[in-house]
Amino acid sequence: MTPGFDVEKKYSLRDTIGQYVKKLGGENEKVLVVNADLMGTCRNRSFVEAFPERAFNVGIAEQNLVSFSAGLAHEGFIPFAFTMAPFMSMRACEQCRTDVAYPGLNVRLVAAYAGVSGGISGPTHWGIEDCGIMCSMPNMTVIEVSDPVQAEQVLSASLSYEGPIYIRNGIVPTFRIHGDDYQYRIGRADVIVDGDDGAIICSGTVVQYAVLASLEIRKTCKKQVRVIDMHTIKPIDRRAVIEAAGTGTVLVVQDHNVIGGLGSQVARVIAESGLSARFAIAGIPDTFAVMAHADYLYAEYGMDAAGIKGKILEMMEH
Amino acid sequence: MKMLYMDTREDMPYRPTKPTTVEELKLCAARIRLQLLELCTKEVIHIGGDLSIADVMTVLWLYQMKYDPSNPKWEKRDRFVLSKGHASAVTSFAQAMRGCFPAEAVIRDYAKDGKSFSMHSCALNNRFVEASTGSLGHGFPIACGMAAGLRLKKNDTSRVYVLMGDGEQAEGSVWEAAMNAAHYKLGNLAAIIDCNGFEADGRIDELTAINDLGDKYRAFGWNVCEFDGNDIGEIKYRFDRLPPPRSEKPTALICRTVKGKGVPFMENEPKWHAGKITPEQFKECEDLLLREWRKP
Repeated sequence: MTPGFDVEKKYSLRDTIGQYVKKLGGENEKVLVVNADLMGTCRNRSFVEAFPERAFNVGIAEQNLVSFSAGLAHEGFIPFAFTMAPFMSMRACEQCRTDVAYPGLNVRLVAAYAGVSGGISGPTHWGIEDCGIMCSMPNMTVIEVSDPVQAEQVLSASLSYEGPIYIRNGIVPTFRIHGDDYQYRIGRADVIVDGDDGAIICSGTVVQYAVLASLEIRKTCKKQVRVIDMHTIKPIDRRAVIEAAGTGTVLVVQDHNVIGGLGSQVARVIAESGLSARFAIAGIPDTFAVMAHADYLYAEYGMDAAGIKGKILEMMEH
Repeated sequence: MKMLYMDTREDMPYRPTKPTTVEELKLCAARIRLQLLELCTKEVIHIGGDLSIADVMTVLWLYQMKYDPSNPKWEKRDRFVLSKGHASAVTSFAQAMRGCFPAEAVIRDYAKDGKSFSMHSCALNNRFVEASTGSLGHGFPIACGMAAGLRLKKNDTSRVYVLMGDGEQAEGSVWEAAMNAAHYKLGNLAAIIDCNGFEADGRIDELTAINDLGDKYRAFGWNVCEFDGNDIGEIKYRFDRLPPPRSEKPTALICRTVKGKGVPFMENEPKWHAGKITPEQFKECEDLLLREWRKP
């Protein structure tokens, strides 16, 4: 067992999210759930059964999922719209932008299957462009959750947050990153592992691999690599990025195309701040990969623990 | 050019009280047409589709809708979503006549940088716009969500009216919403479809034909009534007989209209989808509409 982290016990983020939305539903009557035939996939059936009058299922109609949710938000509700990342961000892209972001409505767009976590479902079910798409919409807050503790707190925080939020979540199981005393705040990055020899900025289910890589480097190479969970991709925590750049090496790990994801946001902050650092992005290298299991793809594209370790050691040597 | 069709014109006295008779509503519609045409001498507007639906918008805003211009967020109001967002000018003039703002403001500020009236309805700087629209096939599903929201709030007196074009019916999202509204028994939703037969590129029948729209909505589980959408008496009759908001079937009001209605050189003429007119053309329209106005 790795000190501080129980890496053996894994959690499903979509299970956590689905169950926690039911809890929020019990506490707040404004919370609604809107599905587009993926209630099972998004694991929110318990909400639907507990609060049938506050649950809608529009069928396989993602455009309507988002516009209908916008209408509910116009009437003062906080709808949680659920589907997979590619369908939310691309099939319903204009609805997210024009019907939700433009009026700044309190719709929570909960997108499972972030990145290539959908694995063998293939590229149609991957969301490797969603951060780029969503970050480019004015008013849109973009969040990716890394573990069950954070997922619950993101959902809680979303109830008192003004404006639309896109919440992407991968379906690859993850171990617990955050402790019992975790205090989540939208827009404030969390340093998971301390270190000044280099920094890994990451979000979502790949945070666990960055943690493993950092711990392994500490053990074998005596280097201290900081791991930053940048759960809020937009608006990004500029200070955390600037401090990371201060280590001289920044590796961004993201389950997303290398263009348009967290790395682009981090790079923008570094460039705008006039800083210089060794910089790289581990992600999907602007390609449609052939269908494979997520673990295989993470290894293939350097997002697993071994790949992250090798890459940042190589960067720090130069 | 002098602004003629403001609230103070003596030969067309504006009645601040709510018009209730067909004759009064006809006068209001003529007035709105003249305001549209006056604006059309200054700016390019979607005049064809504004004119086709001017009669329905007159009856809707001046007679039918429960609305308090001094409190546009009044919970018990009827909601109006302009899904054919390019009919923003006729919407603004109908709202002006209802008392939301002076018609002069629309003529003065339309398409002026940063002001409240534009080619497509925008809620950012106009508090009388429920939902910003312009891209087609968006307002309808938003209206469905609003209607469902009213149900959840146990508001069984307000309705949601949504205005679409017939060209807009080609958007797939329209049918996602149509299916959904019937499923959720949104009897508090009335979809008005301005069937003027044209879209930007020409006759709809010659582009992608819609065929029988009434049959389609009926098949989707809607109440359907089809009528002459340029006949004020007919429009009023249909609105008077809308099922109550607490009923369980949404209603499609399929309005057979003439694009460019009221201006002979614009009627059924594709190039008047959007455009601007000369002062001479305005004079021609004015004489015609005034003759209509003065007709016993």
